[in-house]
Amino acid sequence: MSISLVVVIILVIILVLMYNSLIYKKNQVENIFGSVDTVLKKRYNLIPNLVSSVQEYMKHEKSILENITQLRSKANRTDLSDEQKIELDAKVSSALRSIMIAVENYPNLKANENVMQLQRSLNEIEEQISAARRAYNQAVTDYNNAIEMFPTNLMANAMHYHSKKVFEIQDDQRKSPNVKELFEK
Amino acid sequence: MKSLSQLTDFYYKDLFPTLQELENRRQRVKFRVILSGMVLLIVDLMVFSFFRDNLDWLLFLNIAVGSFLYKFITHDYTQEFKERVIEPLIHFIDRDLRYVEDMHISESKFINSRLFTSTPDKIEGNDYIAGMIDGVKIELSDMHAQKRDKDSKGRSSWRTIFRGLFIITEFNKNFSGKTVVLPDSAQNSFGDLIGNWLQSHNINRDELIKMDDPEFEREFVVYGSDQIEARYILSHSLMKRLLSFKRKSGHKVYVSFVYNNVYIAIEYGKDLFEPSVFNTLLDYKVAMDYLQTLHLAVSIRQELNIDQKIWSRV
Repeated sequence: MSISLVVVIILVIILVLMYNSLIYKKNQVENIFGSVDTVLKKRYNLIPNLVSSVQEYMKHEKSILENITQLRSKANRTDLSDEQKIELDAKVSSALRSIMIAVENYPNLKANENVMQLQRSLNEIEEQISAARRAYNQAVTDYNNAIEMFPTNLMANAMHYHSKKVFEIQDDQRKSPNVKELFEK
Repeated sequence: MKSLSQLTDFYYKDLFPTLQELENRRQRVKFRVILSGMVLLIVDLMVFSFFRDNLDWLLFLNIAVGSFLYKFITHDYTQEFKERVIEPLIHFIDRDLRYVEDMHISESKFINSRLFTSTPDKIEGNDYIAGMIDGVKIELSDMHAQKRDKDSKGRSSWRTIFRGLFIITEFNKNFSGKTVVLPDSAQNSFGDLIGNWLQSHNINRDELIKMDDPEFEREFVVYGSDQIEARYILSHSLMKRLLSFKRKSGHKVYVSFVYNNVYIAIEYGKDLFEPSVFNTLLDYKVAMDYLQTLHLAVSIRQELNIDQKIWSRV
């Protein structure tokens, strides 16, 4: 067998491996985003129940409640891109936190069995969402690395792959919320 | 849960008369051990000329006879130490804890942990402790799992899979898959690039799961059946706690999460809770060795902060 044939075979094998690894990484991102979407929906489904349980008491925070209801109806649209879903999730997380902080100011509400149950469910889902977000970010990082690093970037270019956005931890999630600011809104 | 200083107080105050009695006994046992060692040495010198060509055999025979004699002479002392020191210590931690000296965690549980990929051919162990601590099931014991290897000539030898403390307890979150956390040897020995490649091509394990805590990643490698579930279990705070637990124990730590249980194996490389005839039990260092190990094991839930029930398990 001539050397050039061996070289060609090796090159083909390398190309196939590169192609497959890119496909695998892209599918992994999509797969995990599917799971992220499922837990996000689980949380969206709890919102109407939460709003109806607290609105009677929360006369002063109407705007927060309206805001979250709007966000939920936006999230239910089917034409959203992954990026839009990521942005919406950040807004919903922040709105939910505001509601939970406001609940603390209403002793009756805090002791309400229904609200307590909702709070537990939301905490649990929050943990699941956080895990799903972390898994997604890792998959996106692997994918982005592959399409930016040499030599896989050449093939990724040919396949029209573009880098994807990760879930960013919002600044307002890092610092503890300013309650006064919330009520002045 | 009793603190380490409470345990130390109990050891030096309540157990003090027992320790003194045992100390007298230890002196006698130590004398006998040294005497038998000397007799063995004299016998060796006498038979040396016969074994001149087979020194391997002489060495082997010495080790066999020596360890048999040591076990025989120290047997009663060991027994008494366990009954009168270890058992009261365990009951002091929690009255309802059960202690069985010559029992160990079952082989099936050891295999179910998925911590080690080779199936053991021999499992030994002792110092089985089981019961409820703060309302949650826990069991632990000393374990020595070995595999019989055969070379090309058919000679067999025993290889240790694991030797140390094995702990099983319930986890505070519901999950259905398997997540295994192992000491990271590949990345440490081959560097990040090759180590990572080797880890992701480990055919004996599930998928490699890269965690988002660089310090944790340096010390451990995680494999799991579900990328999301693994991160649901290994929250940032649990990763930090596992890391500090590993540093505190000073040994290799293997952890797995399988069907709502957490399995923790700490590789001490020796049989724990055994008295040495050459060291006095009154020595602070010796005492702390028993107390710290025991405390580390039974307080594992607090250490990892898995004693708080998560809502889904209420």
